[in-house]
Amino acid sequence: MNLTFPPILALLIFPGGLCLLLIGLLYEWADRKLVARFQNRIGPRWFQPLADFVKLLAKEEIIPDGVHAGLFLALPIVALAGALTAALYVPMFGFAPAASFRGDLVVALYLLSLMTLCTGLAGANTLDRFSLLGATRALTQLFSYEAPFLLALLGPAVAAGSWQIGTINAYTGQNIWLVVMQPIGFLVAIVGLMGKLELPPFDAPEAETEIVSGALTEYSGRGLAIFKIGRDVELVVGLSLVAAFYLGGLNNPLDFLLKTAVLLLLTAGLQSLFARLRIDQTVGMWWRVGAILALVQLLAILVGRGLGRLF
Amino acid sequence: MEALPKSNKFIVPIGPQHPALKEPGHFEFTVDGEVVVGATIRLGYVHRGIEKGTEDRNWIQNIYLLERICGICSHTHSTAYVEGVEKLAKVTIPPRAQVIRTLYLELERIHSHLLWLGVAAHEGGFDTLFMYSWRDRETVMDILEALSGNRVNYSVNSLGGVKFDVDQKQSDQIRRGMDYLEERSHYYMKVVTTDQTFLGRTRHVGLMTLEQAIHLDATGPTARASGLAKDVRVDAPYAAYPDFPVRIQLGDRCDLESRFVVRINELFETYRLIREMLDHLPTGELQTKVPRRIPEGEAMMRLEAPRGELFYYLKSNGSDKPERLKVRTPSLCNWASVINLAVGYNLADMPMILAGIDPCFSCNDRTVTVRRPGDSQTWSWDQLRRYGIEYYK
Amino acid sequence: MTIGTMLSEIVRSLFRKPVTEEYPFKKYPHPENLRGKLVYDPARCSGCQLCVKDCPADALELIVVDKVNKRFVLRYDVDKCSYCSQCVESCRFSCLEMSPEQWELASIQRKPFTVYYGRDEDIKAVMARFASQSPEES
Repeated sequence: MNLTFPPILALLIFPGGLCLLLIGLLYEWADRKLVARFQNRIGPRWFQPLADFVKLLAKEEIIPDGVHAGLFLALPIVALAGALTAALYVPMFGFAPAASFRGDLVVALYLLSLMTLCTGLAGANTLDRFSLLGATRALTQLFSYEAPFLLALLGPAVAAGSWQIGTINAYTGQNIWLVVMQPIGFLVAIVGLMGKLELPPFDAPEAETEIVSGALTEYSGRGLAIFKIGRDVELVVGLSLVAAFYLGGLNNPLDFLLKTAVLLLLTAGLQSLFARLRIDQTVGMWWRVGAILALVQLLAILVGRGLGRLF
Repeated sequence: MEALPKSNKFIVPIGPQHPALKEPGHFEFTVDGEVVVGATIRLGYVHRGIEKGTEDRNWIQNIYLLERICGICSHTHSTAYVEGVEKLAKVTIPPRAQVIRTLYLELERIHSHLLWLGVAAHEGGFDTLFMYSWRDRETVMDILEALSGNRVNYSVNSLGGVKFDVDQKQSDQIRRGMDYLEERSHYYMKVVTTDQTFLGRTRHVGLMTLEQAIHLDATGPTARASGLAKDVRVDAPYAAYPDFPVRIQLGDRCDLESRFVVRINELFETYRLIREMLDHLPTGELQTKVPRRIPEGEAMMRLEAPRGELFYYLKSNGSDKPERLKVRTPSLCNWASVINLAVGYNLADMPMILAGIDPCFSCNDRTVTVRRPGDSQTWSWDQLRRYGIEYYK
Repeated sequence: MTIGTMLSEIVRSLFRKPVTEEYPFKKYPHPENLRGKLVYDPARCSGCQLCVKDCPADALELIVVDKVNKRFVLRYDVDKCSYCSQCVESCRFSCLEMSPEQWELASIQRKPFTVYYGRDEDIKAVMARFASQSPEES
């Protein structure tokens, strides 16, 4: 749909901002419920993520000794801001992106990576061993999945001939779904999204049984609540991006809901299937299998375009 | 808070409070990057003074106290004690009671191994296997509840026999449960041996060769996974095992995967044993009379708990309370294997290696004094108390 | 070597009902042998106090109202009891049994955790005796 909202409204209320926060909570509930159903249990009720958020806000925020207090308090806010700003360039809920310019694909991707950078910094900020290990792992994982993920999102950009998300969205809406034309790219994109969001099996940076909570171990109260909701927003934005590129564009809210729901089902299934990968196994897998697959896909696209131009 | 040392090595503490541990224990891993270069262990957080407590209670009350040393191997502790007392009193219990006791021992083995499967999978991040194996464990918990009235701490032993009988309806329920669990165990064997991600976490991790197992005195499935063929049910049969012999399950890979395979194979062996016991359950009464005052003497009992060899020493002085009781649990033996072999693996493997020996911290914390040859000490109660206060300062 | 060995299982679970028991919204039948709260019948009691001696948790106390006519009141501490049923075993006259129906024993007050079993007039006599003693003893 081509409704445009004034940017300030888009940033604060709809379709970004407050609305996005609530939808983020809804998607977190859907994810947890689906994983629970895959494991043959009931799962949480619909208001559970909201209840968790409210509970965390009500708790005392403890600033540990030896940290830089300003950095400690500012990092969650920067992370959430990055995720919310990335939503401006993505066709959220089927409406056209609120702000759009050439090259905004790169900007959106970097804003999404801001969350991981903030997590890494947050972990490095404290003196706690678990946070340091978690931060190291988070940044290592960032270096490993980022390249294949970018390449996988580059495929549709090459097919559409533009770096602007709005244009790519319009292109994919009119042609055959790219999941059919670039299946390898779709696979790399969806698994890369799981790596970005630190979902199992790529949750080594916050492995609960090894390093308590990774980089966020020392966070409590408001900071933790903001980090968690930033992660949910990133989930929604990431899913919309992959759906817009590979599942035939997001044209209206119903379309958005259905396509992201399908992707969420797929992600939840992949979450339940595997054991956690060690960080060295993650890096090995991405730099060997992931990068090669993405490159193969890109090669296939270029060859295809070249052949298409010949005939 | 001290500043971090300049080198890359630092110490990662796991415990006493940590999501990886179900019970408190303190491990310090010296880590270089992600690779562990040193490990130390400190136990004693769950010491409750049970051995001292047995001296104040009469022989009957002690059954229930000792049952609660551990929740997972509770019936094994209770059986060891009761058989020791029956040895001291020179009583033989009726055959039906003997077989029912063994039935409970084997049912407990099932529940313990299924619990361990879930917990070890959870330590490796494989929550789905955790949920499914614990769902199937409910079958055996329901069986135990129908048989004895409680899911844990069955309290089925009494001095001279057992308290509860097994009737036809319960016997049918057990058989149905065994059929279901056998089918599920085949599935778990398939998952554990073929799933790529899980094998990546368990294959070639935590290697302990046969020589190391002998040298470090490992016991139970941990040792059998390295090829050491020791099983108290075969070496020194107790309870009804002389009539229902057990086949030892050995592993050949000496790593974590082998420990999974050995325990699941033990599950199959247990299903066969239980069916055989139900088919040949002797008729008769359930209890014989044991006097209130046990004659003087000493007795030692060795049992195969789900974790390894359990050892009990009882001393009686002719009254209605024991004089001394000593318990040595299998988890205490297996710690040496973990600490010595943790070096060289990733920090991420540590929780799985710790879980691989099936640790039971509550069983662990008895007093251990290592005596050097020619050195002997007798401590009075006051001295012991003072030592304890100084130790924790 | 397979990736995702549990795939068929988890897809099947999506269409099955979850196995979680929805207690307390749904009550499930209790097993017949469940060891719940202790129940005492004073009619057959002989006052031998073997149950009191053998209890590992000191949860029982037999208060003698009239020894010759065998009138006893049993004070049972529900919170101390470990539900081992040793008292049921020790009693030679089958006065005690563990009720399989009464197992939901949680409470937010202390009062339900001390139970007096006996004939009504005996219990009243015992309570009167307690009240007349010093207030610290109860």
